[in-house]
Amino acid sequence: MVHIKVPQDRIGAIIGPNGSVKETIEQKSASKLEIDSDSGSVEITPGNDPVAGMRASETIRAIGRGFNPEKAMQLLDDDMLMLDVIDLSDMTSTSKELKRIKGRIIGKNGKTREIAESLINVHISVYGKTVSVIGKPEQIQAIRTAIDMLVGGANHGTVYSYLEKKRQDLIQEELEFQPSDIDIE
Amino acid sequence: MAQDIWGVAHIKSSFNNTIITVTDLTGAETLAKSSGGMVTKAARDESSPYTAMQMARQVADMLKDKGVQGVHIKVRAPGGNKHRSPGPGAQAAIRAFARAGIRIGRIEDVTPVPHDGTRPEGGRRV
Repeated sequence: MVHIKVPQDRIGAIIGPNGSVKETIEQKSASKLEIDSDSGSVEITPGNDPVAGMRASETIRAIGRGFNPEKAMQLLDDDMLMLDVIDLSDMTSTSKELKRIKGRIIGKNGKTREIAESLINVHISVYGKTVSVIGKPEQIQAIRTAIDMLVGGANHGTVYSYLEKKRQDLIQEELEFQPSDIDIE
Repeated sequence: MAQDIWGVAHIKSSFNNTIITVTDLTGAETLAKSSGGMVTKAARDESSPYTAMQMARQVADMLKDKGVQGVHIKVRAPGGNKHRSPGPGAQAAIRAFARAGIRIGRIEDVTPVPHDGTRPEGGRRV
């Protein structure tokens, strides 16, 4: 049994219209969800498959961190995907600064976020005091560095070219990795 | 012989390495262990999920030799003033255990959390 606290305004997203999102998660992960909409706590009781139960809690956390339920539920389908939550409150001292940093990460009309998402092929959500990423471990590492650069005050152009380079590296790695990996059943 | 031997798999998963140690239920006796460096030679691969999968399969083989049926899992990230969330290897290792025919019991997160401890390392903290 796992408890997860989610913000009030994400409770609705976890339940979904007529409870459809909650139901899908329950079905895909073979676990039970108990949602307390007053306190915002979600209780997950895993079924026969403990690993799936873990994925379910990850999915709930993703939705709670501002992801669209559809994107969050990819976590249930793809084993290799991970959720990474980066806390911005450690890096900023005032709420004004937090706002500025969030703005830098999102960009004008979401431009920066979109470029990062499409270059590295991940989902990024900037919500409250956190930036969250859904992607493969190597991709998350790249995004983490990029966000680190943005927080540290690097030019957006520098960050884009870093991501561009990283994209090439990731494609290359993926191609190289296949042959040695196939013998793992 | 007892046919239902269970163990505890302690998985420490950081961004640089993954360490799997399987002990008996008391945690006093080590049954099998493996780390990233025992599987791969490249330092940057030590924490990768593929490495973790291979490690888990090796450990699973050792466990089967010793007649261990299933394991409870204790996942741990570096914790303390460092990363609170487990690295990429943890999930892969658990999955590989399950696929190698080891039964999985309870999964627990045992990352140490400070009640406000020491100051984090210098530099920008992401």
